[in-house]
Amino acid sequence: MQRPPIAAVALGLLAALASLIPIGYLLLRLFEGFEAALAELARARTLELLLNTIGLTVSVSLTALAIGAVQAWLTVRTNLPLAPVFAVLATLPLAIPSYVLALGYLSVFPWFSGFWAAWFTLSLATSPYVFLALSAALISSNFAAEEVARSLGKNRWQVIKSVTWPQVRPAAFASVLLVALYTLSEFGAIALLRFDTFTRAIYNAYRGSFDRTSAAALALVLVALTLVVIYFERRYRGDRWQAPTASGRKRRIDLGRARILAAVGLGIIGLFGAGVPVVSLIGWSVNQTGFDLLRLGELVASSLAVAIAAGVVIGIFALAISVWNLRYSSRLSGAVDLTAWAAHALPAVVVALALVYFGANLVPGIYQSIWLLLLGYLILFLPNALGLVGTPIALVPRSIEEVARSQGLSKNAALTKVVLPIALPGILAGVALASLTVLKELPATLLLRPNELDTLATELWQATEVLAYSQAAPYALALIIIAGVPALALNAQARKLISEVS
Amino acid sequence: MKLRGALALTLLPILLLSGCSVEDDALLVYSGRSEALLGPLVEKFEQESGLDVEVRYAGSAELAAQLLEEGENSPADVFLAQDAGALGAAAKAGLLTGIPDEIYSLVPSGYSAADQSWVGVSGRARVLVFDPGKVSELPASIFDLEDASWQGRIGIAPTNASFQAFVTAMRILHGDARTLAWLEAMKVNAVIYEKNGAILEAVEAGQLDAGLINHYYWYARAKDVGQAQMNSRLAQFQAADAGNLVNVAGVGILNSTDAAEQFVSFLLSETGQQYFAQETREYPLVEGISPADELTPLADIPTPAIDLSDLDTLAETLELIRQAGLI
Repeated sequence: MQRPPIAAVALGLLAALASLIPIGYLLLRLFEGFEAALAELARARTLELLLNTIGLTVSVSLTALAIGAVQAWLTVRTNLPLAPVFAVLATLPLAIPSYVLALGYLSVFPWFSGFWAAWFTLSLATSPYVFLALSAALISSNFAAEEVARSLGKNRWQVIKSVTWPQVRPAAFASVLLVALYTLSEFGAIALLRFDTFTRAIYNAYRGSFDRTSAAALALVLVALTLVVIYFERRYRGDRWQAPTASGRKRRIDLGRARILAAVGLGIIGLFGAGVPVVSLIGWSVNQTGFDLLRLGELVASSLAVAIAAGVVIGIFALAISVWNLRYSSRLSGAVDLTAWAAHALPAVVVALALVYFGANLVPGIYQSIWLLLLGYLILFLPNALGLVGTPIALVPRSIEEVARSQGLSKNAALTKVVLPIALPGILAGVALASLTVLKELPATLLLRPNELDTLATELWQATEVLAYSQAAPYALALIIIAGVPALALNAQARKLISEVS
Repeated sequence: MKLRGALALTLLPILLLSGCSVEDDALLVYSGRSEALLGPLVEKFEQESGLDVEVRYAGSAELAAQLLEEGENSPADVFLAQDAGALGAAAKAGLLTGIPDEIYSLVPSGYSAADQSWVGVSGRARVLVFDPGKVSELPASIFDLEDASWQGRIGIAPTNASFQAFVTAMRILHGDARTLAWLEAMKVNAVIYEKNGAILEAVEAGQLDAGLINHYYWYARAKDVGQAQMNSRLAQFQAADAGNLVNVAGVGILNSTDAAEQFVSFLLSETGQQYFAQETREYPLVEGISPADELTPLADIPTPAIDLSDLDTLAETLELIRQAGLI
């Protein structure tokens, strides 16, 4: 057993400690009012919330999986016309904050609310996570095995089920985990669409009654739910990261006449996921009079600065944990990885208030400075980057590293000179995804930002708070356009690979 | 080299951002009122007083939650909130140091905390907004909305702080049992919205017949589109019931310095009061300053006899709203 690099261990432990802050804070609040918390949990309403939350999480996860899988399979494996265009379309909802997506629909269809509205919105908003993971996995899967199975008389559906699916299952499960935890923690869209989940109840407990005990009790149920979801993901995802076998020529499947139908289907999904909200935002913007471009420029600059800084910080920590847990795996590294995930379903307001408590009382030096904000983003979004950074690091064959070491490179040099360059696209993708998520984040940004630091998201909030949708629209559009840059960067990788498949 | 470039790229924005940290000598105001509204007034105050003010903008409830977590170590000097509930929460936690007599006495006692922990700055009345084409007979009392004829026609926002304050007032005036019955009737009759503004939009768009909102939402929209363009109208209930509650936006001091007191007196000065009256169409609270012309004078609203400091039993109110299945 080799010893992992010190830096990776140090950063990994630091990240795990950071993720423990909100959980520790919740336990503190819980024990302050243990009986009140128990009473809160024993209410019939808690069960109703639990069923609502589980129902929404399961249905959104399955739908996002279905949408993402179909999009990935069609764009990567078939002779779908304009495949790269559809790949971009499939990634685009990632650039739209889910509350903006909900707002876009609400402004056109005021009756849009309840379970189905929440399911519809969140499924569209989260399907890109599945698409990105599955399209990458499908490309590196074994095409030859599928052709063999075909030649043995299996039909296309049987091939997908028995040959393709087992190969991409780990990637699919990892992305569905992100989708499930996203749904558990989502507040903005859920509140606008008026569907009751744990997260909405937690927000109401804080805002309506300043009742920190019942909020903590509910939030801890969310942590428990998260652990259950993670357990199932780890149990059933199958053997992780099989290194792809060389697979000869990659041929696309001829869909025949169905290719037009497939294109129309993907076009409709794209229309729902990105078209409708963007068009309704442009509609509002047109009604807009007297708009301050200079102010918009400032906001774009500060949003970008925060997002890039946070993305790189998160990327560094994700890299450390991935290297440690995937190449020098131990029980401790597994625990660190799990801890990073455990807080991921917590609503941002809980993480933010935990850091307010922590910052104001224990480390006032960094309170209301950029550092505490970055710490908040790290806790919230480290798991988003972990998946993307981890996959390529796990896939670099150990034999390559061993060859490098036999040539006299030290352990760390082998890592930085051989493994990391191969994994670089994945690392950058992790940074891009983290930056993108930070750009869209609102509740934690509001509570943790330095005084008088405004971003596009906070300005958007200010504008909708006074409820002038027309004033909010340009900021929302700017946010989507900027978030579109990392979204396209993420997509570029997929598109390049798609074009390699002939 | 690439790696070093990337690191430099990260450090640059961090350095830029850490430049905008707190100036220690500035007065720090936590504001639950929006920057668009408060910003110009703060600038005016800075010019007149020569003091530096920094403002942290967020929702009133979020800021109250933030103050509670910060506790004794809060860097904030002044807390300006949209509603009495958020101020009450801060006061209850012992975070507010109290308003000096000469400032407190400017506002009639009904609009501030009885224990002098905070003072009201501007008033907002609960009103019925309605579509005159669809509502021919106005309800005389909030309880008339229980009638089956209102089914699917009235909009409410149960998660909104103003709505919750109004329900608290109803509990104080009529008791929990009567309030629960009203809420249960609303479960049947009402259409649920997240915000007051959304209710107004729905009534304006002809999708909803009437709704319970705060008066200034209507005037803000009227200012945007022109009063003549408004399809909806406002009405008060004739009975002096909770439906006519006049709640306040108020201010409390966390760190009693001369600068904090100057800021609070500025909000209650002629300039400050006129600003709120004209910009937001809220009711100025200091005696002798009249509200914008088109408003029903405060004295003409049949307001219920309520001490706003009693509106701090939100937990029980939420319990009832939940029990009725509205949130």
